[in-house]
Amino acid sequence: MTNTLDSAFRSASARIVGALAARYRDLDLAEEAFAEACARAAEAWKSTAPERPDGWLYAVAQRCALDLLRKRAVRERQGAEMEAECSMDEEPTFIPDERLRLIFVCCHPAIAPDARAALTLRTVCGLGTAEIAHAFLTNETALAQRLVRAKRKIAEAGVPFEIPGPNLWSERLDAVLSTLEVAYSKAHEDAAGAGPHAAYAAEMLNLSQMLAELLPDEADVLAFAALVRFCEARRPARVDAQGCMIPLAEQDPAQWNRALIREGDSLLKRGFALQPSSARLLQAGIHAAWCRRRSLDEPPPWPKVLALYDSLVAISDNPITRLNRIVTLAEVRGYDRALEELENLRAASLEDFLPFRAVRADLLRRAGRAAEARIDYDAALALRPAPAEKAWLARRRSQIQ
Amino acid sequence: MKYALLIYENESLYGSDKNNPALQEIVAKHMSFSQDLGPKRVGGAGLAGTHLATTVRSANGSKTVHDGPFAETKEQLGGFYLVEAADLDEALEIAKRVPLQPGGAIEVRPLLGG
Repeated sequence: MTNTLDSAFRSASARIVGALAARYRDLDLAEEAFAEACARAAEAWKSTAPERPDGWLYAVAQRCALDLLRKRAVRERQGAEMEAECSMDEEPTFIPDERLRLIFVCCHPAIAPDARAALTLRTVCGLGTAEIAHAFLTNETALAQRLVRAKRKIAEAGVPFEIPGPNLWSERLDAVLSTLEVAYSKAHEDAAGAGPHAAYAAEMLNLSQMLAELLPDEADVLAFAALVRFCEARRPARVDAQGCMIPLAEQDPAQWNRALIREGDSLLKRGFALQPSSARLLQAGIHAAWCRRRSLDEPPPWPKVLALYDSLVAISDNPITRLNRIVTLAEVRGYDRALEELENLRAASLEDFLPFRAVRADLLRRAGRAAEARIDYDAALALRPAPAEKAWLARRRSQIQ
Repeated sequence: MKYALLIYENESLYGSDKNNPALQEIVAKHMSFSQDLGPKRVGGAGLAGTHLATTVRSANGSKTVHDGPFAETKEQLGGFYLVEAADLDEALEIAKRVPLQPGGAIEVRPLLGG
C-alpha cells in the first residue's frame, strides 16, 4: 500500500501543486496544502483507495489551501471570512494542467541558480528534500533553506505564475533548459549510476519527456529530451565489472538500450525538421551518431562526429566544445595535431578543469610523452573524479611505460 | 506591485561639472524614458555625485556624521525610479529599458507592502 500511495502522490504532485500554485500564486501554500492532503490520504485510504486518487487529492488539497489561507488571514487580522471559491463537497473532475507554468516559475532567472533545479525536482517531480540533497551532495538543512529562500523570493518579489510572452520567450526557455542541463549533467557524471544521482537520472527522463509533450514545437526542448535518452541508453555499458569507466568508443553497443535510442532518434528528427541549426540539436546529434553504432566490429563514427563538432564550434564556440572536438580530432588527424590545438586552448585557463587534464593526459600517454602524461594524470586524479572515472584514470596511468 | 529600480554606474564617467556632455546626454535620455513610462512611473530622481554625500552612522547608541558615501565601491547609486508593474517580469522589462552606461547595473527591488 505504501508504494501505491507513494507513486500516486508523486505522479499527482506536479499537476496538483501546479494547479494550486497557479490559482493562489503561492508555491509554499500549494506545497503545504498538497502535503496535508497526502497525509489525510494515508489515513483515509487505509482500507480502500478512491477510484481516482488524483481527483481525491486535488479536492482535499483545495480545501486545505483554503483552510490555510483562512488561518493566515486570521493571523494577519484581516478578518476570518474568506470566500470559498469552490463548493466544499464537490469532487473536481478536472485538474488544470499548470505544470509548464510551474517549470517556468521554478527556473526563473531571478531565482538563485543553485536553487532552480532543486526547486523544479521538488515541485514538478515531487522528489523529497532528502532525496534531492543526496543527489546534489549537500545536506538536507542547507537545501531546505535554499528552497525556502527561493520560494520566499517567488512570493514576495512578484515572480509571475505566467508562461512568458513572446518577447521573453527565448531568454526564459533558455533558462529552463540550462537549469535542466546542469541538473542532468550532475546525474550523468556518475558513470556507475549506482551513486546518489542514479534515481534522479530517471526523473530527468520523465521531466524532459513532460517538457517535450508540453512544448512539442520547440526544437531545443526536443533536443534536450533526445540528449537525455541517448545518454541514459548508454548507461548500462559505461562501467566494467571492476567499476571502472569505459570510454564511449570502447563501450559494447549491444548493451545500449535500443528503445531509448529510438525515442531519442524520433525526437531529434522532429527537432531538425523544426530548426535545422541549433547548438542543442547538434549536441544531441553527436550522441545520436554514436548511438547508431551497432557493435564493436563497426568502426567508431569519429569522422562524422568531427564534422558535427566543426558545425557546433561554428555556431557556439566555447572551451568545453573545443575540448570535446580535440578528443575527436586526435582520432581522425592524430595526437600531435590534437596536442597542438590543446596548447592553444590553455590560454582559456582550464588547468583546474578535470576533463581538460584527463584529455591531455590521455593524448600525451598515447603520444609516448610519459613524464608529462603522469603529471596530468596526477592532476586529474587530484580534481576528485567520480569513482568509475577515478578507477579508469588510475588504470591508464599505471599503463604508462 | 511597486518596484524600485536602483541605478548603479561609475559616476567618474560623468565628471563633477554639470555641463559635462556625457551627463547632459544621459539626463536627456532619462527625461525621454520617463515620458515613455507615463503613469507607470510613480517616482524617482537622479542623485548628485558621492562627492556631495554625507553619511549618518549609528553605533554604540549614538549617531555620528561622516563625509562620503556609505560604502566605497566601483559603481555608485546614481539615481532611482519607482515604478508600478504587474509582476517582476514587467519590472525587469522596464529595467532593461532604463538608460545605462556599459558596465552599469540596475537593481530591482520590490517595495515593502508595495
